[in-house]
Amino acid sequence: MLSLCTPFPRRAATILVVMQIIAAHALAAGGSDKSATPMTDIAALLQVQSDVQKLLPQVRLALVAIQTGGGTASGVIISADGLLLTAAHVPGAPGKDMRVILEDGTMTTAKSLGMDKTTDAALAQLKKREKPWPFVSLNREVAKAQPGEWCFALGHPGGFDKARGPVLRVGKIVKQTANSLHTDCVLMGGDSGGPLFNFTGEVIGIHSQIWENRDQNVHVSMAPFLRSWDAMQKSEIIKTWGIGAGGYLGVATVMSDDVELAVADVIEGSPAQKAGVRAGDVILSVNGDAMTDQQQFTATVRARAAGDTLKIKLRNEGKERELSVQLAQKPQEEGQ
Amino acid sequence: MTIAHAESPRPTLPPEQRTNGKQTLSAVEKLKPLTTACAARIESTLGRAICAATIVGEDGYVLFKASEVPDLGKARIKFGDGRTTELREVHRETSLDLVMAQAVGITGLRAVSFGAARPLAMGHWLCSVADAGKEPRIGIVSAKIRRIPGTGAALGIRMDEKSPEGAKGVRIIGIASESPAEIAGLQENDVLLAIASKNVAQYREVHDIVNKRQPGEIVEIRYLRKNKEETCRVRLASRTKVLQNWEGEDFANGGISLRTDNFPEVLQHDIPLLPTDMGGPVATLEGKVVGINIARVDRVTTFALPVEAFWTEAQQWMQADRHPPKAVRAE
Repeated sequence: MLSLCTPFPRRAATILVVMQIIAAHALAAGGSDKSATPMTDIAALLQVQSDVQKLLPQVRLALVAIQTGGGTASGVIISADGLLLTAAHVPGAPGKDMRVILEDGTMTTAKSLGMDKTTDAALAQLKKREKPWPFVSLNREVAKAQPGEWCFALGHPGGFDKARGPVLRVGKIVKQTANSLHTDCVLMGGDSGGPLFNFTGEVIGIHSQIWENRDQNVHVSMAPFLRSWDAMQKSEIIKTWGIGAGGYLGVATVMSDDVELAVADVIEGSPAQKAGVRAGDVILSVNGDAMTDQQQFTATVRARAAGDTLKIKLRNEGKERELSVQLAQKPQEEGQ
Repeated sequence: MTIAHAESPRPTLPPEQRTNGKQTLSAVEKLKPLTTACAARIESTLGRAICAATIVGEDGYVLFKASEVPDLGKARIKFGDGRTTELREVHRETSLDLVMAQAVGITGLRAVSFGAARPLAMGHWLCSVADAGKEPRIGIVSAKIRRIPGTGAALGIRMDEKSPEGAKGVRIIGIASESPAEIAGLQENDVLLAIASKNVAQYREVHDIVNKRQPGEIVEIRYLRKNKEETCRVRLASRTKVLQNWEGEDFANGGISLRTDNFPEVLQHDIPLLPTDMGGPVATLEGKVVGINIARVDRVTTFALPVEAFWTEAQQWMQADRHPPKAVRAE
């Protein structure tokens, strides 16, 4: 993955390796949506076109280009008094002065507020002015952004260009995770911090990272913004989220040669270790539900918040035992 | 054995349902006679795809990207029905980076039907052809129609600015990856002696000779490697392309065109295409061809020449070629 400020950091080789591992896991998860969706026809495409073209004149006014010491990026204004959403890697820290360019080329300044470094969400504040700033609303019903929905992206890829103006891309949501949306709206350097919109003109994502393929574009969803709003307004930096990301158990699993779910590793100091889970244990059930594969087990753990207690049935050398484990928050150094 | 730590199983939109997946593209299938059927493939004599071509005359007239095909003698054209033939150059227009050529001995083609590009607003769907003219792809008008200034041509080398006293030529001290220089086989520590038959002794002279030329042009370079004189031919690229590569920005672009700038007018769109798809037609969903793809610029940008920028002129080239003035016998 690559963050989207320009200039790009020169670490493509490492990034590609990481991407392949993630892709392999995603494939193993095999979570493709088999549900039938209505066939697209020309009329449906023309409706998409008409909707985007109706919304564009309004929403594009809230898009801004951002210049920081390190490069160029984008952002979007979400209140009349000039609150700005962008990506955390754009300012990098609270209290940074940023040069902001509006669509008509007008220059102004903003100061970065707080940020969520685990998800790449950040707030900034434009300087005060007498007339209200043009702004768009953000979507509060995060779960509604589902795979298959049409969406559109705005930004200043490659930096602000008066002759070109902002660049529009139309695409579909490919995946939603706890904190992000993946789409096939193609992004590149300079788009960082720019808005992804739904078809009511609300912001549903902030451009964050790309993978190698053109349909692998990652946006921070509104979830971390809404969760950490107060902290970010107070210019705090968030480095970890226990509850939102699901509870933390601290085991790595593997499918054994007998096609059973086995514990491959137990992380030092984790809730699993404290409760007595050992490498080599076979996981039989969680809260009475039989566990047969890694994805099912991961989902079961992640569906519960830090502080929740799980009853895990294990088997080792023919002996079965049941343990109670209280899930914790993810350790800080692990990030996302 | 795989060890899974994190990823929870969440529904992912299958590729066939994505914007350029099978399901969406089935909607534009009916435009095929107006787009893919009016496109052809320019390939090397070994069958490697070079670029796409847009059919503009039933009697074999086509338009394609000039800088990708400097020598028509080393290329051939292949049509959708499998017919393959040689190309005869009719007109080369460097300002537009277009070549008009005629497929030798071919008739009965389907020519595109042009509509207006300038009235199209941002967000208007466009349909184009990928895979050397065979497959449809869709995208939108994504920015303003505008002129793209030129930045000149480049080799993609860093040169020693202070050549040692009395030393011959200009030493190369760095080469950009995938640059014209690297593709031509130049290496670090090679010493440039002459470019396009002009001797060079200072890095400025190299810069001046190269910068005056157009991306896509071929220059011959004489150089010294381990005290032995050698020559190579280098096909120049746009300075913007070379710099982008140097800064590591070409990551995930899927390749970009040799010439990406110096166009009088472009229609910018976000259709996912490759450099070898340039030269193909771009149409609205109403089936009107509004331009010809002319440059793959970066991960998000493709430029098309809008019909207004070339069609009036191109018709004149075709007309003049079909009806050349004949000698009139003196009475």
